[in-house]
Amino acid sequence: MTGPHPLYRSLVRLYPSAFRREYGEDLVAHYADLVADRGAQAARTRTALDLAITIPRYHLEHVMTDQHSTIVLSLVIGLFAAGGLASLMTGEGPGGILFAVAIVLAVAQRSTLSRALRVPNSNLRRRRLQTAAVLGAIFATSYVVYVATIGDTWTNRETVLVTIGTLAMFGAVGFLIAGLLTRHSPDHRIASTAG
Amino acid sequence: MLVALTDGERHGYAIMQGVEASSGGIVRMGPATLYGTLKRLVDQGLAEELARRPEDGDDKRRRYYRLTGLGERVCAAEADRLAGLVRITRSNLRPGLA
Repeated sequence: MTGPHPLYRSLVRLYPSAFRREYGEDLVAHYADLVADRGAQAARTRTALDLAITIPRYHLEHVMTDQHSTIVLSLVIGLFAAGGLASLMTGEGPGGILFAVAIVLAVAQRSTLSRALRVPNSNLRRRRLQTAAVLGAIFATSYVVYVATIGDTWTNRETVLVTIGTLAMFGAVGFLIAGLLTRHSPDHRIASTAG
Repeated sequence: MLVALTDGERHGYAIMQGVEASSGGIVRMGPATLYGTLKRLVDQGLAEELARRPEDGDDKRRRYYRLTGLGERVCAAEADRLAGLVRITRSNLRPGLA
């Protein structure tokens, strides 16, 4: 994005990417019209308030969409479960409590989770499978390092490796299941057939 | 914004001007507020973007919007509701005040 009003253009980049792609050029054109119509000072005053209100608001709306809130929820449940397992394995921390919190969250939000899994969305499916692959690679790496470096005594390094490996393992399995259960969208099937 | 679109097809800046005019200058929308609201109206099926630019448009780069059938019906229903409120208020107030 280059052209007139570089400051406003750069501030437009702070909006969520989907909104920016759809309306980024319209926003800049609108700002240019404001400057031409009302003057630079009036345009700046109006736009400053607009930016201050809408940037956090649109990000919040973006995060609070069903898909994103479900991803956050899945990650939180996975983290609690993985943290609980790591805690039980190392004998440090309240492992049972963490596990219990993960189970309560999963049960309480099961309708949200199942609804998200039923949403046909090819991009979401691909993102979930890619995330599973990355987490799987992290798990494999941490496991190899753990096996290669483990000594007679348990040190903080082993604790970190086990924690990372466990988190990555649970995350990979979770995202793999979620990705496989996420259906292709009809649009994607049509595009695939046409292509 | 729906009221501004009852006048016909308009681009974003003209919608903003229409909102300001119809509110007596009280409502002053910034660019992102305007386009965020437009997006919601389009998502809800109340407004739609024109596939083509109007022939007499002042700028071919502008995107034009108009009310959908649903948007027109919603505007009409809201106008009826407000007219009813005005009627009740006028009949309830003492003569001379209404």
